[in-house]
Amino acid sequence: MEGQQRLKASTVLVSRVGGMGGPAALMLTMGGVGRVIIAHGGELISPDLNRQVLGSESGLGKPRATDFGEYLRSMNQFVEVEAIGREPDDAEAAELADRCDIILSCPPTFEERLRLNRAAVRAGIPFIDAAQWGMTGTLIVVKPGETACLECLYPEPPPFEEFFPVVGAISAATGSLAALEAIKILSGTGEPLWGRMLTYDGYRGNFTTVVLQRRDSCACCSSL
Amino acid sequence: MKIQISYTGRSYQTAGMLPCELTLEDGAMVDDALRLLTKDLRDDQQLPASCLVAVSGEHIGTLAHYTNRPLRDRDELILIAPVAGG
Repeated sequence: MEGQQRLKASTVLVSRVGGMGGPAALMLTMGGVGRVIIAHGGELISPDLNRQVLGSESGLGKPRATDFGEYLRSMNQFVEVEAIGREPDDAEAAELADRCDIILSCPPTFEERLRLNRAAVRAGIPFIDAAQWGMTGTLIVVKPGETACLECLYPEPPPFEEFFPVVGAISAATGSLAALEAIKILSGTGEPLWGRMLTYDGYRGNFTTVVLQRRDSCACCSSL
Repeated sequence: MKIQISYTGRSYQTAGMLPCELTLEDGAMVDDALRLLTKDLRDDQQLPASCLVAVSGEHIGTLAHYTNRPLRDRDELILIAPVAGG
């Protein structure tokens, strides 16, 4: 009960609510997080429907954030859902981080992921990065100043692929695991994956956990 | 000694070219293993520089910048090519 009350008193930002962020936001809403902020620009398009748990064919052509926000509200009337129809820039990410307890990062580009990581580290709040490619899903959980941050791993953003394979089941599983880590941290339950990368290789059915090393020269977190 | 190789992330076609196990001289280092692992890959099959490298569960950097260290029999060399898709 105490953990549930902690969830109720919490605010979470989920940036990009597609294949991973959508299931993550849904699990957080259904789990009773007090305020869920979602950020995602653009309109829903049909090629994305293989992994959009918050959208449907009836939402094609509509702004994703608005439509997805309505769906989340319909799932739990006791949760406040704030829908932002764009991806936050540096200033907005910092402003959002200041009024959140945790950030879930689910964008397709490393530029956005690193931006959200910086905002979380500066605000001193936990950061969870969920990613997928084809049959692989990865999860990183950052405690600023104590564990490696995303920029410790990737000082420069790896090249962006405009087209990449997406298996909805992998996206949804990775997003759900990201939500679980957030729920654990916010409710004070269990042992979060602090400072580790969890990788699921769906092709072979293997989970791997790697302990991540901080980088002394990290421009984002080495001063902490 | 023998070490296990795990590769995940982008490019399954590259993973298919890599062995699951390597036999190395005693005292071999991570860079010996990586050299042996990638020597037969074509230019268009090379692993990305931002690929994370870990040994038996401990991250040691990326292919571009990693802490070279000795390997032990039955170590697992893990390569995780960066993934970011949403």
